[in-house]
Amino acid sequence: MAVTAETLEHAHLEDHEDPRQHLMLDPKPRGEMNALVMESMHATSWKFWVVAAILALVVAVCLFGAWGYMISEGLVLSGVNRPTYWGIFLVNTVFWIGISHAGTFVSALLRVFKAEFRRPFTRAAELMTGFGLVQAGLSIFMHMGRVWITYWMVPYPNERGLWPNFHSPLSWDFLAINTYLLSSTMYLFLPLIPDLAMARDRSTGWRKIFYRLLALGFRGTEGEWTHLRIAMNIFAFAILPVMFSVHTIVAWDFAAATRPGWSSTIFGPYFVVGALQSGIAAVAMVLVVIRSTMKNMKYFIRAEHFDALGKLMLVVSMAWAYFFFNDYTVQWYGGDKFTHVLLHFHEAGPLGWMWFGMLISNVAIPWLLLWNKKIRRNPGLLFIIGLFINVGMWIERYIIIPISLTINREPFTWRLYKPGIEIVLGIGTLAFFILLYMIASRLVPLVPVWEVQEGQLAHGLRRVGKATVTSVSELE
Amino acid sequence: MPETKTLLALFKDIDPAAEAIDRLRGMGIGDDQMNIISGIPVTERMLGRPRQWSNVPRLAMGGAVAGLLIGLFLAFGTPSLYTIHVGGQSIFPGPPTVVVLFEMTMLGMLVSTFLGVFLDSYLPSYRPKEYVPEISDGNIAILFTCPVDAEPSFIEAMTSLGAQSVHPTEVGQL
Amino acid sequence: MGDLFEEFEHKWGMVIDQDLCTGCQACVIACAMENNSPFVGEKDAGYGRSLQWIRIERFWEGQFPNVKATPFQPVMCQQCGYAPCEPVCPVFASVHSEAQQINVQVYNRCVGTRYCANNCPYQVRVFNFRDYERPEPLPNQLNPSVTVRRRGIMEKCTFCVQRIVVGEDLAKSENRQVIEGEVVPACAQVCPTEAIVFGRLDDPKSQVSQLSRSGRGVKLLEELGKLPSVTYLKGGSSYGRNG
Repeated sequence: MAVTAETLEHAHLEDHEDPRQHLMLDPKPRGEMNALVMESMHATSWKFWVVAAILALVVAVCLFGAWGYMISEGLVLSGVNRPTYWGIFLVNTVFWIGISHAGTFVSALLRVFKAEFRRPFTRAAELMTGFGLVQAGLSIFMHMGRVWITYWMVPYPNERGLWPNFHSPLSWDFLAINTYLLSSTMYLFLPLIPDLAMARDRSTGWRKIFYRLLALGFRGTEGEWTHLRIAMNIFAFAILPVMFSVHTIVAWDFAAATRPGWSSTIFGPYFVVGALQSGIAAVAMVLVVIRSTMKNMKYFIRAEHFDALGKLMLVVSMAWAYFFFNDYTVQWYGGDKFTHVLLHFHEAGPLGWMWFGMLISNVAIPWLLLWNKKIRRNPGLLFIIGLFINVGMWIERYIIIPISLTINREPFTWRLYKPGIEIVLGIGTLAFFILLYMIASRLVPLVPVWEVQEGQLAHGLRRVGKATVTSVSELE
Repeated sequence: MPETKTLLALFKDIDPAAEAIDRLRGMGIGDDQMNIISGIPVTERMLGRPRQWSNVPRLAMGGAVAGLLIGLFLAFGTPSLYTIHVGGQSIFPGPPTVVVLFEMTMLGMLVSTFLGVFLDSYLPSYRPKEYVPEISDGNIAILFTCPVDAEPSFIEAMTSLGAQSVHPTEVGQL
Repeated sequence: MGDLFEEFEHKWGMVIDQDLCTGCQACVIACAMENNSPFVGEKDAGYGRSLQWIRIERFWEGQFPNVKATPFQPVMCQQCGYAPCEPVCPVFASVHSEAQQINVQVYNRCVGTRYCANNCPYQVRVFNFRDYERPEPLPNQLNPSVTVRRRGIMEKCTFCVQRIVVGEDLAKSENRQVIEGEVVPACAQVCPTEAIVFGRLDDPKSQVSQLSRSGRGVKLLEELGKLPSVTYLKGGSSYGRNG
């Protein structure tokens, strides 16, 4: 069977599918794509400023103001009590760390598996990682009783004759989350350098000074590209174990404890899959917002990307359901009496509606809807499904932390948790996340144009028999 | 010693650029007298250039070892120096040691990879350099030094192969 | 840095006879007075934020009107041998005292992560949610041997370690062993029925050692293997309630 490679202009398509609906098969000259990305950064309407101002107000009041008040008054303002010594602060921490896994998943895991559809949104996802980890860090500092001496958890030579306690899962958390934060920031910055150089070449005024400073004098010589590519490959492979280890270690904060419902050996992978689920859903949500609010993004982010993300959401939801059922079944079958009381409390206690809501959001909605290609390719619907999944995942952590803490082996101490100022502070972190993202969208080219061009170079159409198929070459 | 000049030939696509490099080699310009600057990573294979060596993998391994040593200090050094008994566990507990060693090794590897890129590329550097902004628009620039007398023939050779422009390089602030 | 390593001196333990406990809560008050526990107020106490280091647990069996009371159960820090609260503190604020073989909480080291409280199977750790007021003349009642804790710090029963240390130091200075009954925590001191017995478990002849070997002796949540130092005696003798 003869195979001939034909250029795009002469490709005959037997299918009714227009290849140009794929970003990789719809190349534009690089200069034009650069202009599109720069314009999307510069074109700022008054609506942007209104939203940013409101968010900044919310952050000032609900985050920093309320937190300052809580630091001066004490944790009495929160809903924490005996026995639920951890509440929404920890829920938010785990939630934001979960969201932060989005970036690494897209830019590292998809890169390792050479999933070409990742190309236009790796940076948007990596920004989520950085900003999500900032919120996680804030939430963790909020829950501390004496946050002003938190630096005692840092391992550094001191005069106190004390180092941190590395027996403690919280110390592992400290090391892992900081490693992950540094690594993903570095992994965000490395592929950003060529785009910063592009922005430098196309900017004037304060922007030029800003990009010139950050681009570090990058030109694109063979040496620079070689070192950059090798480093990105090392990062892509190495940051994956770090990503897995981070959420596993967060899971061990709970699994290592001697509480019924907590000391479950499956918590490690269960949390990692849960993080992937909320992360991918959050990426989909952020891409929908970017695509509809930013200029020119409709060229870069297309239905095919939502299609791929929707498929991932479905698969990860199935994985989550597997781990959830695993955890539930073994506790239901062979758990001790306190574990049984706890499971019953989850489903039939005063907050049982949350448990059912979680299952509907995390399992029923994705399974019933995401198998359908039309639904997946519809950004609005995918946004709603992603929202349900993220709410469901927040509820899952709420069930694991304050609700599970209610039931312990000392029934005399059982008591419900009623959130206090945590809700205000949680809203503050959400507003801060969105605000940081909005600011970044004005300063950072959101699409890695050089990676998109590289991908478009590698894609082509070729004839196999009577069919015209996409072919991807390995450029590296 | 004949005077030399550095020219910059700008190409829009990879094929003509690769041909140009061959032609330059044919005209007596050595590989080390040529510098290719591009807006996307064009591999040495595509352009027929000699293999680029990088210290980044070695630096990554070195960083991993450094991270491991720091992890060993944290996991074994600090409990021996300042011994505190907790929970009936051993002073050097198994699983926590694994966690600490792993995280510090990965941190060392990744930080040194990151710094290695800049070390190897001599970045950041803000001194004036030879560059044209068209490069970040996807063009490929070939910088080469040629004898001044032969300059017209080189210009003609590059232009005939499809160069957008051929002109002497200007060292300027990026 | 000096000698940071403690040597074993005594193993202190407690026996609580649930058949003698009347649930009068004198131990709760005495503990609060001895250890400078603040008054949290009715609202906070109702929400589970009281700073009692010892609590009297009351249960009942059956449905009304056939309700049967079970013995009162005073619960305080069990000073576990393999204390689960110790390894989880990231800053070493909850450590094991090699000298007294109890779990000690280091107030000025605590950063308030509250992991220790979550990991305690007996739920005996309490947290200072705010700086509590002591209107005049209450500060006159404070015990100078015990730190006054500020907000953000975990605390728990210490077996009145301030009294233990005084007793041990006195014995050392007089070149003798600690005499039986010389060291008495506040709860044991005020118990009207002498249901709380305290002493050296490392001395097999002490009253607490003998009682802990009694056939009526059980340990709370013994199956968890945390090696608590408190033994509970219950057998439903004629001294207990409801026969």
